[in-house]
Amino acid sequence: MTDIDEAMLIALVDGELDEVTRRRVVRAVADDPALAERLAMHRRLRERLAGHYAPIAQEPVPGAMRALVEESGRVVPLVRPAQRWRGWVTGGAIAASLVLGLSLGRLTGGEGGPIGLHDGVMVAQGALAQALDTQLASAQGDSAIRIGLTFQRKGGGWCRSFDGAVAGVACREGDGWQVQQALPGAGEERAYRQASSSDARVMATVDALIDGEPLDAASEAAARAKGWR
Amino acid sequence: MSFEHDLLAILPRLRRFAASLSRDRADGDDLCQAALERALKARDQWQPGTRLDSWIYRIMRNLWIDEARARQRAAKTFAPAEAGEHVGHAGDRDIEVHVHLSDVDRAMQALPDEQREAIALVLVEGLSYKEAAAVLGVPMGTLTSRLVRGRGALIELMGEAA
Repeated sequence: MTDIDEAMLIALVDGELDEVTRRRVVRAVADDPALAERLAMHRRLRERLAGHYAPIAQEPVPGAMRALVEESGRVVPLVRPAQRWRGWVTGGAIAASLVLGLSLGRLTGGEGGPIGLHDGVMVAQGALAQALDTQLASAQGDSAIRIGLTFQRKGGGWCRSFDGAVAGVACREGDGWQVQQALPGAGEERAYRQASSSDARVMATVDALIDGEPLDAASEAAARAKGWR
Repeated sequence: MSFEHDLLAILPRLRRFAASLSRDRADGDDLCQAALERALKARDQWQPGTRLDSWIYRIMRNLWIDEARARQRAAKTFAPAEAGEHVGHAGDRDIEVHVHLSDVDRAMQALPDEQREAIALVLVEGLSYKEAAAVLGVPMGTLTSRLVRGRGALIELMGEAA
């Protein structure tokens, strides 16, 4: 038997293996007809699905849909000023400094800032602390801060990702939330925002910290009920 | 190039993604239309230089999830007690109505939403794991386990035809 699991076979089909692993899997498959059959099955599945939906992308787009986009092009100016940073920070330069070094002065300066410094550690305060304490990802209402994933970190303890004026990850420490990462967020109007570069980095932090899977809605509510102990 | 120009160029693929999420082509086009309206309204929030398709996939996916949740709530609220066992796969009854569906459509509909969207982004749209995880807002490990489970379920549902 080999140590090649289903996820590796699938990653091979999806072109997601690095070269060293890819070679290892290919060698193992060559020596194991059963494994080769599973690989072929996954290849067929991918081809069948892609082939099934492919013709849709070849069809002409319905006129109404095309008109919607073309109309918009005539009415709306092509370039509009970005509104991403209008709020508690303004201007691309500040955004850049946040990205590079995290301008703590800006973040922590105001009374109502989302992050405070205690003994050199970033701690959630105000609305952010409250959102981390009480808000459920399944019931965000109109809150300016959105809770993303809630998960157990390696070594124990709860962490939650958040987005709003600031995006990042905070983990429970004592009665508070220690901010592990703070990046410029999507702002408060975010129902239909894009996956920003911050998202990818927040997700990388989650990947680095997480033990197992993020909580589902019921477990999230249960963890809150226990006061994040 | 203008926002609209780029949007027109990816429209066929957006329609395909909508179709792979939805139970039929008409629903898919409704979803696609709604996502386009949202995207045009929220265009300020798209950052030039980033992938426009990923942004709209995300808008579309969020609309679809909202709609699916609303449907589930309605099913829970209005279904008679003996229909309780069907709650959670509202798809079953729908599938009976749409009997002309192909094996692939049928199997995709039977998947839990979280597996279907992962499968659609990676296997149909050809996104990388990293891109798909970012669209869905989940860690890579979660995406890959959904892909493994979703594929297992599809193979089972489609049988040897897979």
